[in-house]
Amino acid sequence: MNLRFHWMLPKGGEVAMKTAQETNRVLTTQRTSPAALPDMEGWTHFARRAEEAGIESVLLSFSRYEPDTIFVACAVGRATAKLKFIIAYRTGFMQPATFVQQINTLSGLIGGRVALNIVAGSSPAEQRGYGDFLEHDERYSRAEEFLAVCRSFWQGGGPVDFDGRYWRVEGGRLNTPFLAPDRAAPEIYVSGHSEQAQQLALGQGSSWLRLVDTPEKLAPQVAQFRERGVEVSLRLCVVCRPTREEAIKAAEALLPGEEIGRQERGILTRSDSQTLKQALAAADDVGWLGRNLWAGLVPYYGSSAITLVGSPEELAETFLEYKRVGVTQFIISGWPKLDEMVIFGREVLPLVRAAEGN
Amino acid sequence: MNLRFHWMLPKAGEVSLGAPQTAHDAARYRIHYADPDSGAARPDMEGWTHFARRAEESGIDSVLVALNHCEPDPLVVACALGLATEKLKFIVAYRSGLMQPVTFVQQMNTLSALLAGRVALNIVAGSSTAEQHGYGDFLAHDERYARAEEFLAVCNAFWHSDGEVDFEGKYYRVEKGRLNTPFLAPDRASPEIYISGHSEQSERLACSQGTTWLRAADAPEKLEPAVARLRACDIGVCLRLCLVCRPTREEALRDALSLLPEDKEESTIRLKDDSQMYREGAGLAEDKHWLSPSLWAGLVPHYGPVWTTLLGTPRELADAFLAYKRIGVGEFIISGWPEVDEVATFGREVLPLVREAEQQ
Repeated sequence: MNLRFHWMLPKGGEVAMKTAQETNRVLTTQRTSPAALPDMEGWTHFARRAEEAGIESVLLSFSRYEPDTIFVACAVGRATAKLKFIIAYRTGFMQPATFVQQINTLSGLIGGRVALNIVAGSSPAEQRGYGDFLEHDERYSRAEEFLAVCRSFWQGGGPVDFDGRYWRVEGGRLNTPFLAPDRAAPEIYVSGHSEQAQQLALGQGSSWLRLVDTPEKLAPQVAQFRERGVEVSLRLCVVCRPTREEAIKAAEALLPGEEIGRQERGILTRSDSQTLKQALAAADDVGWLGRNLWAGLVPYYGSSAITLVGSPEELAETFLEYKRVGVTQFIISGWPKLDEMVIFGREVLPLVRAAEGN
Repeated sequence: MNLRFHWMLPKAGEVSLGAPQTAHDAARYRIHYADPDSGAARPDMEGWTHFARRAEESGIDSVLVALNHCEPDPLVVACALGLATEKLKFIVAYRSGLMQPVTFVQQMNTLSALLAGRVALNIVAGSSTAEQHGYGDFLAHDERYARAEEFLAVCNAFWHSDGEVDFEGKYYRVEKGRLNTPFLAPDRASPEIYISGHSEQSERLACSQGTTWLRAADAPEKLEPAVARLRACDIGVCLRLCLVCRPTREEALRDALSLLPEDKEESTIRLKDDSQMYREGAGLAEDKHWLSPSLWAGLVPHYGPVWTTLLGTPRELADAFLAYKRIGVGEFIISGWPEVDEVATFGREVLPLVREAEQQ
């Protein structure tokens, strides 16, 4: 099967921004940031370019700094024809039955182009601001139950009964089904590096979504997941330029100024996410995780900023290496948000497809 | 201020785009919406958009989008339909107990920003025990009101404060809550909140957390004391009713009677076992079916109080609306059979008479 490539939907206002520095996390978490508001013009433009570039889905990130992902997917989905939407949501904010009703409704409105990225939670402070006071490990137990209830609704076959520790449902019934040409339930990407996240992906997910690392480091884990019928998707950034030297120069130009850099580190250290901790450790220790995998941006743009840097040929070859160890999907971002995707679609993807035999 | 007229969004599949539909057929579709094989379960953008455009042309302010386990989610439907319309507003029905208030506010605010603020909220504490259990909610009727009170208090705290929200209640707790996406509307910083119900708790909830009390229509003299009470707290009153407008009273009566079920025992009320409003309707004796010369409750014992029907000629109906206005009612949410025809008739025949009288 061909590799599947998804892209991160830029935050509100970001499609028009030309430098990476404008999109740093300190700025996007401020109330006055355009990230707080829906950006239909920018998003629709980006979504159409993504369709042209051969991108399959966009991932919509969930946080208190941004509009709700389900509604953004509804609005952008109604304005597009092919693109799918991987909606990040956290469990614990909603009854699973209500969540299924919203996702099913959305599927019926946008031709089934809906998938889920389930995140158990990130910073304890943000969770408490949402009314969620569970600890990291308990959030995973709850997420396990949450997805079990969701899946019972999607399996159909009569009323849903569930009596768990966090959720209880009696005679649950939703008449609106998940409506898609080829599926009765959405694909479920489970994020996180912790042992619990991996167990959750194996138990309830269709794919484990984790940060990129070198193919040789990932190979044993990927093999374990594939054996149990669960795919592995990697989150990464790309900087692609005609030559490796130009790409490295472009990547280094993404580093922020000193003051923003200091504040960024503050944000990151307050999280209890293991994913983030591991990524930060990697960035601090080595910077370069492999010949073309750079973690130097992680302290400033978050854990998902591990970046594949190189020429089109180098990048295509790297994606194929991941394919050889069993990775099947990628969720990518780059800077500027739109331009890097256009470069990928024009320069990298054709090389990958040619090698895959298309 | 002019009376405001809203309409019920038809069920998915209810709007007939090709063949003409009788009042009877349209009403039967509505009555059977909960059947698992009903088209009401699947979003119907074509039918809804057709209706929404007619409603906009007819001078309708908003559509009410219902919440239950048999239909698509009303918030998501409002999003899609709002993007396909320009003026129409959406009163979205929701229940507390289905989601954290913070998440709910984030969804409402996102929706407001996408639809230029054309969104309002109809909070229902919950009407059926079995349905609530299916959603994972096991509180009893009175406790559901206490929780709805807290739910809206948290929502209102987000909508009315610029800083961080802290709340410690029996049902909800929030610590330093903050959402960057605001409620965005040209003229408001928070949605209008309609509180439904006939119980005392619903009236109290409307006064403490709502902007408007929403209940089924009754004769003006019956409603007058409650309307006066709510208006004294600066809360608006909105009535839910069905409309049958025909050139003569005889025709209106005939079409209304055609909606009675063949099976005298037919009832969908038992589905709403935990609602005072529905219990009242079920107990209505046959000699009490005329609440006023134009207000007929003959369908109420079968289908519930929202089927209370105002019937007559355009002039009679306009006068009836104006009589409600005199006691302080400000808004109506209407249904008709079929919806597209009735909303067009209302906009063409009734509304101009109301507006004319309001100018004098």
